[in-house]
Amino acid sequence: MKLWKLLIVVFSLLYISVVLILALAWINNLKLTAEWKTAYNFQLDPKAKISPEAQNAALKQKIQGLQPKGVYIMVDSAENKYYLKNNGQTIREGLVSTGSGVILVDPTGKRSWVFDTPKGEFFVKSKIQNPYWVKPDWAFIEEGEPIPKKMEDRIEGGVLGDYALGFGNGYFIHGTLYTRLLGRNVTHGCVRMADKDLEEVFKAARIGTRIYIY
Amino acid sequence: MFRRQKERGRERQKVMSLPFVLMIFLSAILILSLLSPAYTQTKTVKAVKKETPSQQKKSGQLLPAKKVTTEKVPAQKASGPQPKVESKPAVNQAILKENKFLEEELSLAKNPQYYFVINLKDKKIELRARGMVLKSWTASRIRYSGKPVPLKVTTLAQKSALNPPKRKMIKPGETQESTAPTATKPAEPTKNKEPDSTATGTTDTFEVEALEITDMPGSYELILDNGLQISVRSKAGSKEKMKQNRELILWYAWLPIKNFLFRKKEPKPRMILYFENPRDAQGIYWAFIDGIKGIIWLP
Repeated sequence: MKLWKLLIVVFSLLYISVVLILALAWINNLKLTAEWKTAYNFQLDPKAKISPEAQNAALKQKIQGLQPKGVYIMVDSAENKYYLKNNGQTIREGLVSTGSGVILVDPTGKRSWVFDTPKGEFFVKSKIQNPYWVKPDWAFIEEGEPIPKKMEDRIEGGVLGDYALGFGNGYFIHGTLYTRLLGRNVTHGCVRMADKDLEEVFKAARIGTRIYIY
Repeated sequence: MFRRQKERGRERQKVMSLPFVLMIFLSAILILSLLSPAYTQTKTVKAVKKETPSQQKKSGQLLPAKKVTTEKVPAQKASGPQPKVESKPAVNQAILKENKFLEEELSLAKNPQYYFVINLKDKKIELRARGMVLKSWTASRIRYSGKPVPLKVTTLAQKSALNPPKRKMIKPGETQESTAPTATKPAEPTKNKEPDSTATGTTDTFEVEALEITDMPGSYELILDNGLQISVRSKAGSKEKMKQNRELILWYAWLPIKNFLFRKKEPKPRMILYFENPRDAQGIYWAFIDGIKGIIWLP
């Protein structure tokens, strides 16, 4: 047998082997993907007194029962948008400013703050008209000012807008002087709203109204 | 002379065709062995072995696919004529599967934290709280392979990206020069410069020192505690496209070969989510906080 013929045989064998392995690998792969649908079988609970269809309906009802009724507020911190909802229907939406996510470290190095807006489910805990701001320590540290010892020196009026809704741990939904920054992440964790939006939200919300921040 | 030459030629042809015949024969055997129920049975039993008995007891409904068939086989043999029962159990399976999903979702919806649901059929990634959808993203394509993940609540164990976003640090006192006088200071004097001093047009053009959605990566990995590695990809830039093409070749050529050659080992579950808009991928990175719980749902 001549060399070229031998080479043809060898290459053919190689080619066939590669194609074969690829084909088998693909069959195996398809089977693996299909297994995602069929890997686990679910059996009827023998103790169950109702049909699986009825069980599903009951479970759906239970989940639906957990959903908030009436008015609730949703805040999208990524897009800096808020949605005022009533029984699932959006009744008002607009721009907000949420946490900047930056870190402030005390020059002494003992304390640090991360300015994030908390995420999750919250409730309106307080409703305040004409609120004033009690400046926390970080506000002075950030500006390189000494931390005052007297409480009066911490109070600043007219900066939170006409209304504020507290949702725990010192976080508020309040107004802003910097409406041009609405839609951006610039706050220390609070949610800032435009005056008109804040008024509507304040009127609609009650103590206990749910707030979802994500 | 001619006869001898002809005979030799025939012999050579026979010799040459022998490996082909052998290969075809071998391939047929391999294909048959792969398609045979015995092969599938060993695979699924293995997958089930990973499930601890306590977990199965807890769920009460999770059972191996093949366990059911093995129970049925002797009964069919003994009873002689085999009854056709394919259509009704298929419907029931879908309902039972939904039942399991709803049970798992209920356990999540009872908690105040939001959770995710990845619907592989609709290619939807939903952020839910108390059973209602807060936000949803639609992937342009979803690929998945490897050992199937059970229909159970899972937790995000790790987020990893080539260029993860870094939080900026504020140097105390730096904002003093740029913020407004005390009387007009904002509610929470931010480290961002005063709007008027940085305004170059619309709101979007403000330069602010902050961690925003645009700082989030467009391509990254999410590793769940059930072993599933989710790669999130979005089309942005030629480099990213090159990377995705390389990944595509690996996914369709190398991964099947690897899974086939090492099929005795359980292949790790892997998933790739593709998004047309990079902002969708960035939004998921933003919303999927560490420790977020969720369900992978394939109806």
